This record gives sequence, C-alpha cells and structure tokens, in this order.
Amino acid sequence: MIAWLLALALAGSGLAWPLSHLFGRRASGWLLALLPAGLFAIFLSLAPTIEAGHTITQTLAWAPSLGVDLSFRLDGFAFLFALLITGIGALVVIYSGAYMSRESDRDRARFFTLILLFMTAMLGAVLSDNLLVIFLFWEATSILSFLLIGFDADSPSARRAALMSLRLTAGGGLALLAAIILIGATIGSYSLSDAIAHTGELARSRWIVPIMVGLLFGVFTKSAQFPFHFWLPNAMQAPTPASAYLHSATMVKLGIYLLARFEPLIGAVPHGRDVVVTVAILTMLVGAVQVLRAEHFKSVLAYSTVASLGILAMLIGLDGPAATAAMVGYILAHALYKATLFFCAGSVLHTTGLSKLRAMGGLARFLPVTAAAAAFASLSMAGLPPFIGFISKEFLFLAQIQSSWDAIPLAAAVLVNAVIVGAAGVVTLRPFFMGRGRVKEVEHGETPGLLLAPVVLAFLGLLVSIEPGWISRAVLRPAAAVVYGAPVEIELSLWHGLTPMLALSAVVIGIGAVIFVFWRPIHLRLRARKSIDRYDVEDGYERLIRFIEKLAAGTARRIQHGHLRGYIQMVLGSAVVFVFWGLIAAGRAPRLPSIDQMGALRIGPAAVALIGLAGGVAATRARSLLSTMIAVGLVGLVTALIFMMNGAPDLALTQFAVESLIVVLLAIVLLVLPVAAPSTRTVRQRTTDATISIAFAALMFIILLDMGASPQHTEVSAFYGAQSYLAAFGRNVVNVILVDFRGFDTLGETTVIALSAIFAWSLLGPRTAHESAATTAAAARGHGAFILRITSPIFFRLLAVLSVATLLRGHNEIGGGFVGGLVAALAFALLALARGVARARATLRIHPLSLVGIGLLLAVSSGMPGLLLHGDFLHHVWLDVNLLGIRIHQGTALIFDLGVYTVVLGGVLAFLFGLRREAAR
Amino acid sequence: MSVIYAFVAASLFGCGVYMVLSRNVVRLLLGLSLVATAVNLMIFQTGRIRSPQPPLIPRGASRLGESADPLPQALILTAIVIGFALTVMFAALALRSYRDRGTLVNAGAGPAEQLGDPFAGGTGDDG
Repeated sequence: MIAWLLALALAGSGLAWPLSHLFGRRASGWLLALLPAGLFAIFLSLAPTIEAGHTITQTLAWAPSLGVDLSFRLDGFAFLFALLITGIGALVVIYSGAYMSRESDRDRARFFTLILLFMTAMLGAVLSDNLLVIFLFWEATSILSFLLIGFDADSPSARRAALMSLRLTAGGGLALLAAIILIGATIGSYSLSDAIAHTGELARSRWIVPIMVGLLFGVFTKSAQFPFHFWLPNAMQAPTPASAYLHSATMVKLGIYLLARFEPLIGAVPHGRDVVVTVAILTMLVGAVQVLRAEHFKSVLAYSTVASLGILAMLIGLDGPAATAAMVGYILAHALYKATLFFCAGSVLHTTGLSKLRAMGGLARFLPVTAAAAAFASLSMAGLPPFIGFISKEFLFLAQIQSSWDAIPLAAAVLVNAVIVGAAGVVTLRPFFMGRGRVKEVEHGETPGLLLAPVVLAFLGLLVSIEPGWISRAVLRPAAAVVYGAPVEIELSLWHGLTPMLALSAVVIGIGAVIFVFWRPIHLRLRARKSIDRYDVEDGYERLIRFIEKLAAGTARRIQHGHLRGYIQMVLGSAVVFVFWGLIAAGRAPRLPSIDQMGALRIGPAAVALIGLAGGVAATRARSLLSTMIAVGLVGLVTALIFMMNGAPDLALTQFAVESLIVVLLAIVLLVLPVAAPSTRTVRQRTTDATISIAFAALMFIILLDMGASPQHTEVSAFYGAQSYLAAFGRNVVNVILVDFRGFDTLGETTVIALSAIFAWSLLGPRTAHESAATTAAAARGHGAFILRITSPIFFRLLAVLSVATLLRGHNEIGGGFVGGLVAALAFALLALARGVARARATLRIHPLSLVGIGLLLAVSSGMPGLLLHGDFLHHVWLDVNLLGIRIHQGTALIFDLGVYTVVLGGVLAFLFGLRREAAR
Repeated sequence: MSVIYAFVAASLFGCGVYMVLSRNVVRLLLGLSLVATAVNLMIFQTGRIRSPQPPLIPRGASRLGESADPLPQALILTAIVIGFALTVMFAALALRSYRDRGTLVNAGAGPAEQLGDPFAGGTGDDG
C-alpha cells in the first residue's frame, strides 16, 4: 500500500515534464497539483486507523543478505509529516504555476519535476523503516535541494549557495551513513524500529560515541543548527516556492524528524540531552541576532526559521511528555505560518520586484488579500490568540517549566521568542500596513494562483485553534505518543486558566512589541557592528574551502610533475617499501634452501651465469649505446646457454633466435641515433637509483631463496607429463602445453604480437614515392659485403627450409611455431642485410601485416572444428589418414602452430621493414 | 647451485632497474629488455632446476620420466617472444621520438609543461 503510494508519486514526478508542456502556462500548476492533493486525500482517509493507534507497515525484500529491505511504516509521527508534505506540496505546486508564469516552458517543467521529485523523496524518507533506505532518500533531498537552490544556474550567487548547501548536507549525510552502518553492525539489523527497540543495547555498546557523533552531525547539518546554520539563509537564492517548501516546511524538518525518532537513544546516552539542548540554544540565539540584522524579506524569514529549528531541537532535548507534545504542535504551527509568510514574500517579489524590507511600504493597497494572509500568519508567529501559534507557545513554556532543566533554556526561549515576535511584526506590519506611499506602483495585481496557497494556510492556522478536536485526536496525539513511547495527553484549547505560561506569553509579547517599535535603530546598530561578522561561521567555511582547493592543487602539482623518472622512482620505491613491510609483517624469517635442495654445483653453468652477471654490470656502466646493446645481448646469450644446459632446448633455440634478431633490428635503429651516451644523471641521482636497484635486487634474491626452500607443487606438471602423449598425441610436452592444453593463452599472446606489429608499422614513417626508388638503386649498387651477397640466397633457402622443418617437427621433437617463425624471420633478415630491404620485401611478395592477419585467422579457425564437434573452442581434432601407404596422423594443432608461425614471421618482418624505412628517412 | 642462479637473476634485475631509471630513452629500453630477461630466468627457477633432461617423452614410452619441469618452460617461451616484441616496439617509439624532438634525453620541460601551470589561473568562481 505505502510502496504503491511512493511509486505513484515517483511516476507522477516523471510525467510532470511532458504534462507541464501539454497543459500550458495557465493550467499546469492547477492540474499537476492533483497528484499531491490526491496523495493528501489518501493519507487523510487513513486517519481513523492512525487515530486508533495502529501502525501501517509494509515490507518488500530487496537485498535480504545485506539487510536492506524496502520496509515502510506509517505511524502517528510519520502521518503528521506525510500530511504536511503532501498538503503543503499541493499548495506549492499551485503557487508555482502562478509564480513561474513568466518563465519559459522548459524552466517551468523543470521546476515542477524537481518539486514533485522532492515530495517523493521526503515521503520516502519519513515513511521508511529501514535506515539505509532513509539515508537514500535523505541524500536525494540534499541533491534536489541543490538543484532547486541553483535553479537559476546563470547566477553565481545561486551556484555558490547551492554548492554550500550540498557540501554541508552531503557531508552530514556521510557522517549519518557511518552512524547507520555502526548501528547495523551493533544490533544486526538496519531497521529503525529495531534500533529504537534496542536502545539500551546501543547505549551500552562501545560504538555509541561515533554513532551519536555521526547521527548528530547528520541531523544538525540538515536542520541548520549552529555551526552549520549558514547554508539556510544562503538557500534563499532559490525561487520562493522552493524556499517555502524546502526551507521552511519540510526538508529542514527532516533532521528534526530523525532526531525525534532517536530521542530515546539521546536520553539513554549520558550527556546526550545536554549536547542537544546546548547546540539548540546556541542556534536559537544566533538565529535571533541575525534576524535583527537581516535586510531582505526572505532573509528575515530564513533566520527566524533557524531560530525555530533551534526551538524544535531544544524541545527534543528536553525530557518530559509536555516537551514532546510541544514539539509536535510546534512542527505543525511553524509549517503553517512560515510557509504562508514565504508565499507572501514571493507574491511581493513577483509583483514589485522588491526584496529589501526597508524599501517596502504600503503594499496593502495593491495586495490586500496577501496582506491579510500575512497578517494572520504573523499573528500566529507572534503567538497571539486565537491562532495556533499561541497554543503551541503555551505548550513550549509548559514543557520548559516541567522539564528538569533550570532557568537558562527558559530565559533563552523567552528572549528568542520575543525576537520572533518582533520579526513577525516587521515582516507584516512594516511592508504592508506602514510606510504608505513608499511603493508607487506594482507590475500586476494578485492572481488566484498566488493567493490560494497563503490564504488556505493562514485560514488553517486559525481554524485549528478554534476547532482543535479532530487535529489533536487524529494527528497530534498519535504523533506525540509515537515519539514519547507512551500516550500523551494534549489538550489544545485557548484558555487554560491563569497559568505561568500565560504570564510568560504576555512577557514575550511585551518585549516583542518593544523590539518591533525600535526595530529600525536596533537593526542599523547591529548591522554596523563588524565584530559579529568576524565570528561568522560562513567566513570560516569559505576559508576552509579555499584551503582545501589550495591543498589539492599543491598535491597535484607535487605528484603529477610530468617527469618519467620521478614516476618510475615512485612506483619502484613504494613497491620495495611495501613488499619489505609485508615480509616483516609475515613474522617469520626467510628460509634458505638446504644443500640437497640447492643442487650440485656444476662449474659450467655457474661460470656462464657469472659471465652473464658481468655482462649486466657492464651494461649499466657502458657509456656508448652500442656497448650497452652488446652487453645486453651477452646477457641474452648467457640466458640461452643456461636454458640449454638445464634441459630447456626449446627455450634456448628461441632465445638464440631472438638475440640475433634483436641485434639486427636494434642495429638499424642505433645507426641513426647518437651512439655516444654520457651519463644523464648527477652523482646524487645515481646514488639514489643505485639504492633503489640494490634494494629491489635484494628483495628478489630473498624471495627466490625462500621459494627454493619451499616444496614444489608438481601436480600440474605431472598431469601434463602423463597426458601429453595419450590425450594430445605429442611428445614435446612444452609444445603440447602451448598449443593444446594452454592453447587459449597462446592465442592471446599471439594476438599481442600481432598488435605490437600493427602499432610499430603505423608508428614508423609513411612510404614516399621516391624512397622506394632510392632503395632499389642502393640495392642495385650492392648493399652488403661481397661474400654475404653471394651466399645469401643459399642461406636464405636453407633457413627457410629449416624453419618449416622446425614447425613440422615441433609437436614431437624440439621445435614449434614460435621457433619456426623466428628462424624464418632470420632468413628474411639475412636477405635484407645482404641485398637490401626492397629485395626482401619483393621475395616476401605480400605485406607483412597481411601475414599477421592470415596467421591470426589460421590460429582462430584451428579452434573451430573443436567448437563444432566437441563444444570446446581449441579442443584439437585429429585425423588418421593413409596416404599412399604413409600413415599421416595430424590435427588442428598443426594449423594452430602454423598460425603462430605466420604471425611471428609477419610481426618481425613488419618491425624490420618499418624500422628500415624510418631509419632511411 | 640454485643460490648462484638466484643471485645472478636478482642482480641482473637490479642492473636492469638501474638502467630503467636513466634519462636516456635507449638506455631505458635496453634496461627494460634486461629486466625481461632476468624475469625469465626467475620464472625458470620456479621449476627448481634439477634435471638437465629436456621434457620430451622418449619413443616407446607414453609418459614423461624424470626431466626438467615443462610448465615454466611453456610460460617462458611466449614471454621471450613477447619481450622481444616489446623491445622492438619500444625501439620504434624511441626512433620516432628522436625524430620529433631531436634528442634522446628526457629532461626539461616537455610540450605539456610549456603550456604553463594549470593551477595558476585561480580555482574557479564558485565557492
């Protein structure tokens, strides 16, 4: 049931855009208001249930394992809020239709959508029982408030105000999320009702302080308590209907709502109530002082809202049933009169364009009905009978007298309420009824759309106090009962007898009247005192934002400095630090391998390895690039020898071929680059680099030693060794692993080679017409040494045959696609060295990248028969045929290997031809 | 014996890292190649070098006897070829960059730095 209502609200918000365009300027406000009005009526129909004390719940499972359920709960307190949200929402939509009549269609549609979405979010927040869902809607209201405050996106002050509100409320929301998660972790459930039920357990848990801090941060930022109050006056940049809805009647009360829900927890925590009451009193006082200093109509209303929110927070902090009753009553009263006053301010702004109070006067002549509504609302605000404001103020004083606090809250409340009374007068009597003649003309008169909302609300304020029975039974009493936890007697009547509260009300009205009369000098004197500005929290916020931005810029400038060497140093250095840290944190010392684990010393491989080490050191010290290349090549050859001497002939072959090719290819490059390469680093830099290198090398050494000491897991290799012949018909286990068992990995790696070839080809210079002529001429003149030129065709053919033979025998003997391809590439490299690149290209006939493509195609298609027959890509299929008496047993594995061969050949040739072409430019 | 291999592989790695930190592009490239080689040696040692017998199933047998570990060898084979492709690709880059910039040394302000400090203009107009 409740979920349907929310879904309806959401759907309506989504339709608001097209409907607003459809209904046009005049009708859209009235017609779109049917949605909130309908929801209001539905909620109203539930009043008898709520009055009887029942609660309507609904739960939809969403992510039960995470504890997130869409659980909804309509009890007395939520009912009060739901009525306020939908009722005032309907009036706001009607008012917006008239207020935004001068805007473009698009802006109007945008405004309606935002307002209706906001209403949905607020409803979701008050109707949810799951804390995480409440948080979701909480953040949604923050974002929608941001969008509404910044509605006039061209105005820098609107943007600034919107950002300010978002930063504060979202920051508070983050703290609230932390508190919610801690609550969930402590009691094992994210349900709000569970949290209230387990208040004792929460209060005793060790996370209670962070929970309270997070909760209070969230609530205080949302409800504009000191020191987070300054976003609310700035939020007056929003269009007035938005201010009326969000920043007086509903959104700012969301924090109060949550605080009231958690009142038992605040009471259970030592000093919980003290903190809330203190902050509330500070808020009240700050609000009161700023009310007197405010210049604009809406600013006065905003600061008085701050003060009212302080009063509400204070009432939650006070104990006793009267405080709860007073809070509930004040929520209702404040919503009614504050929204009315905002509507009136909006009407004044719309008709005259004036916003500063000192410039207004005598407006009752032009806006009579608005003036009447404003007068009613102000009287309610001032707490004069027979308005509901009077009744709620009586309850306020009753609550304070009955609470266990002494005189300070009472005194503060008297003072602040007096200021509010004065503000009420200032906001109504001065602009509308005094200063006749200050305003000469208005742009237009009152329209029905602008009038309906304030009139209805003002009238309600009066009606409720004259006939309070239904309201107190159906709305206020259940609400107070939910918050207090037990039934609360609320008697709304105008006359309780000669009580101390009546005396206090009289005192308040007296002081307020004095403030009103002397408003102008008080206002000017307070504005002139610059010391108040110095302690302004908003200034501190500005400075904090500037500081954060400077910090961010400075950090980015330091870390993103643009020097490659610095980046590499940082990466390597931190890798060393973290791995060492991990090793130390692992707790045990690295092990050394035992003597038999180490293996017998063999002089040959040991000597070769040490020569390799010498080569490596020589590479670091070489001052000519050619020597460096030779040294690195030496290390490569040594590696090949180590492979050969330790039972890895395939690897040795590959490494030898690769070393030869690297020499050929890098020589092409080095012949055009400056070969002399003195050291580019200062001694100090070299020392730092040496330290990092030695540390990294030591780390690797320790890791390798420790690995040598641990037992080897040979299950996988044993499997391959056993199955290689039986399942994959191959004797060369390495080749079988590459082509068959791990064929998909090899396909990926072949693709990498192909991509690097394409990359290199596209990077290296474009062909020009005269270039090919020059190279052919050079080739005709003779390129290399005489003997090489004569013998190169022989060697080329020999190497070509050798490469094919290597490919074919690879499955059962040493060889394979990779080695074969490299040997074939060597053949072409030899031809290119001896007779020139053009000759080599002509011998190849096709473009090297075409070879690459053909190879990839072959490799991929070799997997298709397996896919079709066995449902497994690259499950190789074998054929046994008898061809002229010769038994041939081959399969798709050979095609795959052929594909690899072709890709490697094409890739290396692409490198070769490309580099040659670039170097010749 | 394995200690010697471990020591050599780790030291080659260190030499390679030292060269990678150089400002000369070609030295960086050759250092990268050296690092790749050293890593191949390290992977080889995961097979616990013991038997010099290659992993070939002899004729007449149907399973592999005592021999070197085939699995690391398969991994290293493709690693060698890809390391080679990386080296040559990097060489192409170095050549191109030399053609464009006229120098092999990475130092001083590049084209991006010559545009000026991105943070110099203030931090925007919105609070």
